[in-house]
Amino acid sequence: MLNLGYGQIAVTSAIAVALAMEAGIPILPAAALGLLIGGLFGLFLDLTILRPVYRLRGEARVLLSLLLTLGVSFIVDGFLNWRFPLKTLNLHIGGGAVEILGVPMRRGSLVASAITLATFAGLFVFFGRTSLGRAIRSVIEDEEGARLIGIDPKKMLRLILVLSGVLAALVAVTRSMVAPVDTKSGLSITVFALIVTVVGGLGNVVGALLAGIILGIVNVIAADFIGSYISLIILLVAAAVTILIRPAGLLGVKE
Amino acid sequence: MSEQLTSGTGTSMIGGTEARSSRSILVLLMPIAMVGVALALVPLWLSDSRVLMGVAVLGLTFICYTIGFNVIFGSTGQLFLCVGALAGVGGFGAAILADNVGWPIVVSILVATFAATLTGGLLSYVAVRRSLGVIFTGIVTLIFSLSFDALLLGLSHLTGGDTGRSIHSGADTFLRAQVPPYYLMLALVLFFLLIHALLRRSHIGWAFRALRDDEVAAELAGVDVARYRVYGALIGAAMLGLAGSTYAFTEGRISPTTFGFGEVDVVVLVMLAFGGIGTLFGPIVGAITFTIIDEVLIDFGQLRQVAYGILIIVLFLWMPRGLIPTVASIWRRVRRLVEVKE
Repeated sequence: MLNLGYGQIAVTSAIAVALAMEAGIPILPAAALGLLIGGLFGLFLDLTILRPVYRLRGEARVLLSLLLTLGVSFIVDGFLNWRFPLKTLNLHIGGGAVEILGVPMRRGSLVASAITLATFAGLFVFFGRTSLGRAIRSVIEDEEGARLIGIDPKKMLRLILVLSGVLAALVAVTRSMVAPVDTKSGLSITVFALIVTVVGGLGNVVGALLAGIILGIVNVIAADFIGSYISLIILLVAAAVTILIRPAGLLGVKE
Repeated sequence: MSEQLTSGTGTSMIGGTEARSSRSILVLLMPIAMVGVALALVPLWLSDSRVLMGVAVLGLTFICYTIGFNVIFGSTGQLFLCVGALAGVGGFGAAILADNVGWPIVVSILVATFAATLTGGLLSYVAVRRSLGVIFTGIVTLIFSLSFDALLLGLSHLTGGDTGRSIHSGADTFLRAQVPPYYLMLALVLFFLLIHALLRRSHIGWAFRALRDDEVAAELAGVDVARYRVYGALIGAAMLGLAGSTYAFTEGRISPTTFGFGEVDVVVLVMLAFGGIGTLFGPIVGAITFTIIDEVLIDFGQLRQVAYGILIIVLFLWMPRGLIPTVASIWRRVRRLVEVKE
């Protein structure tokens, strides 16, 4: 299943957080509200338009999910551009630059990185150590097989949708500490999430982290030494080459 | 996503003798001719309006794109998310060759089309060699699209960057008149339809159908799946390049968004999926429907995108397989009912 509305969930949450903060709600409750809205958005998709998608298998499922969530992304983009055309979420984390090992770093980037790493650790433990996480992985691997050993795939798919909604909202919050998130960020968030996931290996949390870090480093190095548009091309080519060399992902095992 | 539409003519071809096969060429040409006549009449009631003629030409261009994408995705199952980029290789390539290098327009179009063909073939060759699945082919070609877009923005002395460039070659010829470009694009549409129809009847078409239905079985039956996938990509990419470069000259102004991912690929995918993936006339039905929908939704002003999204969801929940396969299966059911009564 492919959710093309992923970036729009992030943007919706970002706008919600921005609105909440304008209303005078402090940053932490506002961010929590954003995560809640992201999760509810995922739940909503699961309960409504994804029902017919679950009944399909294989390629037909990918295609229908892609088209329906594309429709959702149009609706969200259209609505947000109409209602909040100029709204952006831009979280300022107070204080100046912090020096780490002699390298000055913006406090916003550090907080964002810390949250990301903590989330990653949480996901790693969840998917690797808890029975619920393992149940989810079994559904991803083989829906029929999971059903046979008593796991309800529908419940797990719902959980996946909610979880991915919360994570999308988290992306919006951490991203906004480094750069503003506006109503037009949706598509690019989806596209880069997709590329990083595939480079890291579908369904592989460690791979995704590794891919994110490596592609980030490639991007920064390329942007530093060469012009910006060539650096983007280098980043993309690096991603493409990784996919071609290791189609199963960076850490993937070939079947 | 099998080839429901052809089941009527398809069965007659299996046991077809020479005499029947010449008749089936008529069966093949008649619908295409009818589409041609119907579309040729459109300027009769639109030619007064420069804006509407522009919309119509763009609509025909999207039919061309959708047919090209259909040959690649519908026939051989390769999800090419670089329809706009391949058309852009044609469009920007031809513009640069004609304006900056000074080649004649026709030569520029042909060379740029050839470049797009090679690019599409190369992408397909790489994907096939690494035996990438649907999603992975989609991602690699999407990456190509994004790189191409970055390249267009970067090489602004040739492409005009963000705002695009105008094309001076052909400025005072029929290419920029109000009605002739419509018939030029219509000729391309009919040409592509004919190629696709002939392709489906040829041994290549049989190979496409075999590898689409069951790749492993096709391979076991002696179909060189890899080779035919690349053939499909080459033919489809040639169509995209030719349509893109021709459209560039009729429009006279191109920018990265003329061939953008959101502006072309997404739209073409929706058009094809709505018409019916893998069917001969699906691209026509889908592209015309969504061109009209797009025009009608202008009245919604700022809520146009929202309405578009709602419409996509409703249409695909209602007909997940697309219009033509759905209508075909209803038609078959009705016919069966009638036969039972007799």
